[in-house]
Amino acid sequence: MQHDEGATERRLLIQLARLGDLVQSLPAFVSLTARDPHRPLDLLCPAPLADIARLFPNVGHVLPWNGEQWHAWAESFAGEFARSRLCEVEQYLTELTTEPYKMAYVLNHHPRATLAGTLLAIEVQGPNLRGPLNEELSPWASYLRHIAQTRSSNRIHLSDTFCGLCGVTPPSVPPHLRLSSIDLPGDLAEVGISAGQWIAVVVGAGDADRSIPQSVWIEWISTLLAQDSPCGVVLIGSERDKTTALAIQDGLSPMIGGRLWDATGRTTLPQLATILKRCHWAVGADTGPLHLAASVGTSAMGFYFSHARVHETGPYGQGHWVWQADCAKPEAWPIQASVEVIRDPVSAMQQEPVAGWSLWQSHHDEWGAIFRPVGDSDPQEDQRSAVWHQLTEQHLSLQGMQ
Amino acid sequence: MNSFEINISRLAQRDPALAAAIRQSGRGTLEIVPARTGMMSARANGRWIHSAYDPIKEAQAWAESQTHQEGETIVVFGVGLLYHVEALCARLPRTVTIVLVVSDLRVLADAAAVRTWGDWIDRISWAWGTTEAISERVASAGHPLRLVTYAPAAALHADDHRAIETALQRRVATQAGGQLRIAVVGPIYGGSLPITRYVVSALESLGHDVRWLDHSVHATSYQQLELLKNSQHRLALQSKYAEMLSRVTMAQLAEDPPDLVLSLAQAPLILPALEHLRRKKFLTAMWFVENYRHLTYWQQLAAGYDFWFVIQQEPCIAALKRAGAKDVRYLPMAADPSLHRPLELTKEEREEYGSDVSFVGAGYANRREIFPRLVGHDWTFKLWGNEWEGATGLTSVLQRNGARVDTDTCQKIFNASSVNLNLHSWAGTGLDPEGDFVNPRTFELAACGAFQLADRRSLMPDLLAENEIATLSSPEALPAEITRWLHEPAQRVAMAAQARQRVLAEHTYQHRMRDLLSRIGVASPDRIGSILRGDRQAETLAVAAAEPFPSVASVLRTFPSTQRVELKQLAAQIRSRGPMGTLSREDLMLLMLDEYRSETKDLV
Repeated sequence: MQHDEGATERRLLIQLARLGDLVQSLPAFVSLTARDPHRPLDLLCPAPLADIARLFPNVGHVLPWNGEQWHAWAESFAGEFARSRLCEVEQYLTELTTEPYKMAYVLNHHPRATLAGTLLAIEVQGPNLRGPLNEELSPWASYLRHIAQTRSSNRIHLSDTFCGLCGVTPPSVPPHLRLSSIDLPGDLAEVGISAGQWIAVVVGAGDADRSIPQSVWIEWISTLLAQDSPCGVVLIGSERDKTTALAIQDGLSPMIGGRLWDATGRTTLPQLATILKRCHWAVGADTGPLHLAASVGTSAMGFYFSHARVHETGPYGQGHWVWQADCAKPEAWPIQASVEVIRDPVSAMQQEPVAGWSLWQSHHDEWGAIFRPVGDSDPQEDQRSAVWHQLTEQHLSLQGMQ
Repeated sequence: MNSFEINISRLAQRDPALAAAIRQSGRGTLEIVPARTGMMSARANGRWIHSAYDPIKEAQAWAESQTHQEGETIVVFGVGLLYHVEALCARLPRTVTIVLVVSDLRVLADAAAVRTWGDWIDRISWAWGTTEAISERVASAGHPLRLVTYAPAAALHADDHRAIETALQRRVATQAGGQLRIAVVGPIYGGSLPITRYVVSALESLGHDVRWLDHSVHATSYQQLELLKNSQHRLALQSKYAEMLSRVTMAQLAEDPPDLVLSLAQAPLILPALEHLRRKKFLTAMWFVENYRHLTYWQQLAAGYDFWFVIQQEPCIAALKRAGAKDVRYLPMAADPSLHRPLELTKEEREEYGSDVSFVGAGYANRREIFPRLVGHDWTFKLWGNEWEGATGLTSVLQRNGARVDTDTCQKIFNASSVNLNLHSWAGTGLDPEGDFVNPRTFELAACGAFQLADRRSLMPDLLAENEIATLSSPEALPAEITRWLHEPAQRVAMAAQARQRVLAEHTYQHRMRDLLSRIGVASPDRIGSILRGDRQAETLAVAAAEPFPSVASVLRTFPSTQRVELKQLAAQIRSRGPMGTLSREDLMLLMLDEYRSETKDLV
């Protein structure tokens, strides 16, 4: 039997951050598998996100990174060197992979991710050019740091910089997760079944300073449901968002009865993805669920303020919308205008500007995602092509030196 | 053959001397009573030793609740009918050595007569005989030791067990060589502030790495709150201030996590903070150098500290345990001989500080009532200290107009006085009828080589003998006692010298801290105990690591052999190889653990 060399050259993509980052790693993952379809590509991610990682198309093994266990080991190590604990660590790493990977692609500029890559693979490609003890950054990591520090005129999406870190170009078509049929609990099984538009409202946010006030949500949902056309709303969020969801429901008119479902704290991540897929729109400020919605083909509309920036972390793909605030803490909200976008996206192109906000729509081309302003031209020149060429050259030049 | 004969014959194969001694010991200490399940249970002095319902289930539950680390020897206190020992044998791996302390052979004889023992009995090592013999046997069983107590049975011989524990602690103290990192949390102000200083100094002199979280720097702000006239506002703000200082303490601890947090009385650590520290696996101890009857805030904190050390015995210890304290030990006050010492005084100093009779201290009610009877005699009497406002009968003897006396001045007064009065404070009149603990001044005077006449305290005889300190049984006797001792200068000098020798030999803060740490070391063999034994020193660790982790061993060998090494130091050593340094798999594992370690103590 002929030895399959490709199969032995196993590769590993490492993404140890949060839900939104994992979903935004999808384009890089798809480009890597497209470049070398015969070389298996596994995925290392935080254990609680492993079920989402398993939805990546053509994923090999999903390796769950058990952060809690590492914390427990570290705690038992604090103040002492425990040989038996180190044996457990060794055993854990062996269970992740008995043989080292040929290559690990590291997407996080964090020592843990770099160390994980170095522990699990022979070669590492990622933010650190020369291993965990060396702080010299790769061209793409330097670019990311520069953007984080200056914001500047960047138009390259984080998902596409992940591609750059891995040495691949963005996929020609925005990729989607492979979501099979998943049962939903209780009354949530009705979501998306009846006619009309279904809107998932993401009530919480990863950070408190990125939460939309309850009063805004109450007004937004009331405005949406006041229209004549049939419409259903599903409140989305984690366990900690349940109180917010209840407060929103308390503030709504009893007349909306039968048109609102509360899914906060009731779903697994695959179930959440299923709900989002059954909806026509996902709306909110929490980028994680918005990215998840975009990755299952649902239109996303984000309200971006505080640290969130449309150009780096807007929903990836074609036809998503982002309201970008001029300031970190908006005082007025584009409630009527944003509901209008959902009701009639075409008319949104002729909307009057909303004070304090700008509206952006996503597009996709050979350089990946790009957000363009609605009703106006982008004041910044699109320099993505030049940046890609420059960074690719630097990358190749460094490879030549090595 | 009955159960007794079968069991003793079996025992004789492993310990013939014990078997013979049991045959001679007689029986009848335990009253054997059937439990509801039909198994035999037992009572002693009217109390159940095992469950009256199901002694086996109860024993299993007890065994399940015991913790054990690899390599430890288990020492069991409490014999009873051995159900709990059997359950412990069933729970622990066969490789674990279990030593059973038998203080009274008659109990073991009773146990032998009740039921036939199984194979598990062959796993037991027996420690019996005198306290010294038992301590010797336990100590030679192997280290580290983990002491476990089956309380219902152990209560029958509590004094014996305490003596054995003390002997074991002394061994730990003697062998202690490792360096602990200790954070000492002191008060904002008050009597425990100088004690904190002495404690820090003693711990440092024992070779430990001590960090004093000194809250006296906040005293001025805190005392401003005392000036608020509205008591509601004052109390609310003082409470908030203490809470804030508690958070400050937590932040300081988080920056450099110690092995042990040692608080002195009045340390600003509130219960939620202590509970949070416990969740984060910090070990905490409190030396409560206060009269528990006067200051009662211990009731709110009792459950928060892992270890309590108090200057009173019963009923103080029982009261703390009732309030939720898990481990309470008696630890009397002491002196610091580097400060409290004989001084060569100049003529001028003798004139200023000297007198036939003196007292240094605050104007508590009992002193205000007793001291006026010392005025107008043919001896000189000088009264030093503050809070004497309104004591008109003492104006003629009050020095410096009642100003506070600092430590240096205090030592000079002690050294310059013929008879130093040491009247423990009390809010009533006369002598405190419940007077038990011995105050710091007792030890400080003795350490100065100064003669003292103290009120009688119930705990005094164990600390200083009659030939070391003169005591007073009633206020009425005070003038006569002073006259007597003023006429016996040679005896005064002899007693003072003996008292000083006793303090230097037994009652310094070094002694106290050694006792405190050894107690914690015995109770926590896998943490404090292992550090004290030197198990965390580089060479010891390198030997342990060498077999499975040679790369770790080689990093460890780059440290001085007796240096204590932790994950933090190991990781720093690996990182010091610089950007081009090569890393083994073991190095990477340690660096990863260190990444998580740096986030583990998120206390604030």
